[in-house]
Amino acid sequence: MGGVSGYAAIHSRIRVMYSTLLTPEDGASLRDAADLQTLVTLLKDTPYGPYLTGVEDKDLTAKWAIHQVKHRLADVYLTIIHSVPAYTRSLVIQLFRHFEIDNLKAILRGIVTNSPWEQVRDILFPMGSLSVLPAQQMLETGNIQAAIALLSSTPYYDTLTHALKRYSEEQSLFPLEVALDLSYWQKLWAKVNQLPGRDRAEAMRIVGPLVDITNLMWAIRYRVYYHLSEEEIINYTLPFGYRLRDEDIRTIAAGGDLVRVLDRLYPGLSDTETLLEEPERGLPKLELQIQRRLRQQLKEVFTSYPFQIGLPLAFALLIELEVQDLTVLIEAKSAQMPVERFTPYLLMSTNADDRVSA
Amino acid sequence: MFFPQEMTSLELIIPEKDLLAVTNVLTGQGVFHQVDASHLGSRAKSESIDSWKERASTYATLERQVLLAMQALEVEEGNPPKNENPTVVAIEDIRPLMEEIEQAVKNATSQLVSSQKRLEQLQENINELEPVADFDLDLGMLRDPRYIHSILGTMPVSNLERLQTSLTRTPSVLLTLREDRKNAVVWLTGASGNADILDRAARSAYLNPFDFKGTHEGTPSEIIKSLNAEIANTRQQIEKQKDEIAQLRTTYAGQLQSLLWNVRTSRMLADAMAHYGKLKYTYLIVGWIPSSKLASLSEQLKRASKNIIIETTPSKRGSSGQNVPVSLKNPGILSPFQMLTTTYARPRYEEIDPTVLITITFPLLFGAMFGDVGHGLVLAILGWVIASKRVPALRGMASLGTIVMICGLTAIVFGFLYGSIFGFEEILPESPFFSKLIWMQPIHHITDILLVAIGAGVVILSIGFLLNIYNAWVARDWARLLFDPNGLAGLVLYWSLLGLAGSIAVPGFPVPTPVFVVLVILGGVAVMFSEFFKHLVERHRPLIEGGIGMFLFQSVVELFEKLISLFSNSMSYVRVGAFAVAHAGLSGAFFVLAELVDGNRGLGYWIVLIIGNIFIVGFEGLIVGIQTMRLHYYEFFSKFFTGGGAPYEPLTPVRVEEK
Repeated sequence: MGGVSGYAAIHSRIRVMYSTLLTPEDGASLRDAADLQTLVTLLKDTPYGPYLTGVEDKDLTAKWAIHQVKHRLADVYLTIIHSVPAYTRSLVIQLFRHFEIDNLKAILRGIVTNSPWEQVRDILFPMGSLSVLPAQQMLETGNIQAAIALLSSTPYYDTLTHALKRYSEEQSLFPLEVALDLSYWQKLWAKVNQLPGRDRAEAMRIVGPLVDITNLMWAIRYRVYYHLSEEEIINYTLPFGYRLRDEDIRTIAAGGDLVRVLDRLYPGLSDTETLLEEPERGLPKLELQIQRRLRQQLKEVFTSYPFQIGLPLAFALLIELEVQDLTVLIEAKSAQMPVERFTPYLLMSTNADDRVSA
Repeated sequence: MFFPQEMTSLELIIPEKDLLAVTNVLTGQGVFHQVDASHLGSRAKSESIDSWKERASTYATLERQVLLAMQALEVEEGNPPKNENPTVVAIEDIRPLMEEIEQAVKNATSQLVSSQKRLEQLQENINELEPVADFDLDLGMLRDPRYIHSILGTMPVSNLERLQTSLTRTPSVLLTLREDRKNAVVWLTGASGNADILDRAARSAYLNPFDFKGTHEGTPSEIIKSLNAEIANTRQQIEKQKDEIAQLRTTYAGQLQSLLWNVRTSRMLADAMAHYGKLKYTYLIVGWIPSSKLASLSEQLKRASKNIIIETTPSKRGSSGQNVPVSLKNPGILSPFQMLTTTYARPRYEEIDPTVLITITFPLLFGAMFGDVGHGLVLAILGWVIASKRVPALRGMASLGTIVMICGLTAIVFGFLYGSIFGFEEILPESPFFSKLIWMQPIHHITDILLVAIGAGVVILSIGFLLNIYNAWVARDWARLLFDPNGLAGLVLYWSLLGLAGSIAVPGFPVPTPVFVVLVILGGVAVMFSEFFKHLVERHRPLIEGGIGMFLFQSVVELFEKLISLFSNSMSYVRVGAFAVAHAGLSGAFFVLAELVDGNRGLGYWIVLIIGNIFIVGFEGLIVGIQTMRLHYYEFFSKFFTGGGAPYEPLTPVRVEEK
């Protein structure tokens, strides 16, 4: 059941939750918080409040606060998953699964670095009932092959077993991680394309730009950081996109003009040439600029036709970006960083005058 | 039976030297529900508590190791030892044995796993080679050619297109020899000058080349032959390794079971001690026990520690806001229905346990909706088979089986009352004996059966109101008793509305209409302003929240909502009669279908009837079950049953399952 009747309930829920997104005033006061304790105290008056209770100031750590903030993100996703029409649920679950991919990578890294469970557990995203990973058991196997064998009933097994041969030869997690990423996005794209009519178009409006950013940043990183060959870059990127064309990826892979590709995709980005000259610092800034555009696009979904899958997807991603900001803030306050050093890395507006546009 | 077991709060202060002895008594009895008191102790003296926490964690790890070893050797947990005084075993005493077993099990199982993996790998290799089995070409020649570079192997189907794209600018040929849903067998070849590019492309597309170098040489068919020989060899090895594991099972089964219970008991004891409060020289233990067990436990505690201080406070129902753990105590026959209660919610300590009521009303309503001697008999037999645990796959559903059986029996009773057997409405009425049992045939007395159903609903809902009043009285919650929409005010409104309808509809009604009008007004005002009156009784201020205008508006809406819900709750029971009619109607429809298929009442006629009856028992039975549950959960329980009680979980190494 789609259309107005299928989306009526979720639409009103999302609208209510949308009103709880942090405002520029919230952003400004969080930015100006004196330290981590003050930041957490301020957050207690926001929808993150219930997740941040029950710890004394002396026990408060950045790691704990970040983990708790992620709990809200998980709850938002689970609410959306349970409220969207049944035929769109698998798409939202697949979108949510990227946190599980991150968990899986963290476990595999934990095995390689011989980390204790307590340490790995603290960095895992709280997937709740949707988690399919036997995380602790995997870590306790102490070896990648045995850990992957435990995944036989999960969607990750085939992907990882195929990439395992390369892991055995190269003793690097890189092939496993790339295989997981590629498989994740291929499945997400397939889920979008399985949707009917309007929902497909609206989901594409949200997922498409996300695929573009991811694929573009992969291609640039593979070329600039890892100096991979043309054929490797092509094989490690996705053959589909929204506005990013396969020719663009091939151009980047072949060492073509990056700035031209960026200008075509995101006209008006500032200082692309300068940023690319010093990629170590420049690329994160470039990514932030693109993410700010994505954030704006996501907000625009809330002014369009409301009874469609785009609305819940956009909200989930907005909360994700908000949590990304909070992570920056928590880390920065914990490291007692001056405001001017971390503010450029925030996506949210921290200028109270921006209330209307934000 | 009607209330959860009476509980007593227990506070013990014990000297450090008796710590273990007292803990042994508390856990050995399996009646003490512990409450965390670790935060009540003095922080500076909590090292010993922390040490117990660490030990509990170590025992938990050991328990997991033991369970893993048992799982690997397929050893059952066995029964817990009959020991009333469990003790904490020293970690250093059990670790050497555990390590020895673990090592032996690890060696044996890892060899087996590796042989099984090898077998899988070999079979996979054969599958991969089959598409090229008729190539009369030595695969070794592909490895070191002079002018061309070839890669033969498997890769994910999803990467094929990308691999092709990545080689657009490199002269090459990519042939897909076989493809299934996930993987493809491919042959990639190009000039040997481009070998690096081809290798990089293949590797980055996750093309795994066949690699038989040094193990299997020759043409594909020769390699397959050689692989088959290795498979036979590996199978023999697997059998041998399984024998070794069986030998280990014989050697270690008893030791593992004993280890498991020792470690589990120690973990539980350590965990219990980690939740004690540490005072300066003593420990504080807090918890609950059923009052009936207090005397025997106190006696044993005093025997274990002469200096123990025992403070007990029987918990009166409704006397405090404490979260008293709830232990439901129903006789065996009621336990399946207790499951229906706890699925909705666990009663609070001061609340009536509705299990007895649901044991009566659930089968009654089900039987009334599904009344048919034949269909009821089928359900009763089916329920008995499930409940008797004769079918291994259905053993976990034994409780449900009992419910189905009892519902089947009431359906038989109503079947006699309705005169229906397998949908035949004329067989029983024609029998001189059974015709006397017939009360009414729903399909012929539709209005009557619907009115009776509503009447039954009124009675059940009234019981719901009365139970809520009783619960409020037990909890000394006078505001709820008097002014709750499901309390006295609601009941007066409900009954006076019924009386009003009766006095208008029935000529010569014994009570005059104006009496009911006055009562309706009184009940309506009490329900309408229930929040105000509740605040008044509870001395809660302000009496009205949010301004007078908003309060009046909300009150009117609440009264309207209550009137609607009283009407809809009562009407909801119409379904009991409606399903009784529908049951006969559905059966009738299958008779018509059967006549259409075979008017001569031959084989076709009976096949349709049998299919129809299976459909009715399966599909209608399920729907009626759901409707019965709905009537209880939404209409009946919501009137008086709040739930939210904490489960009673006594300390014991054995999992205690509430009967």
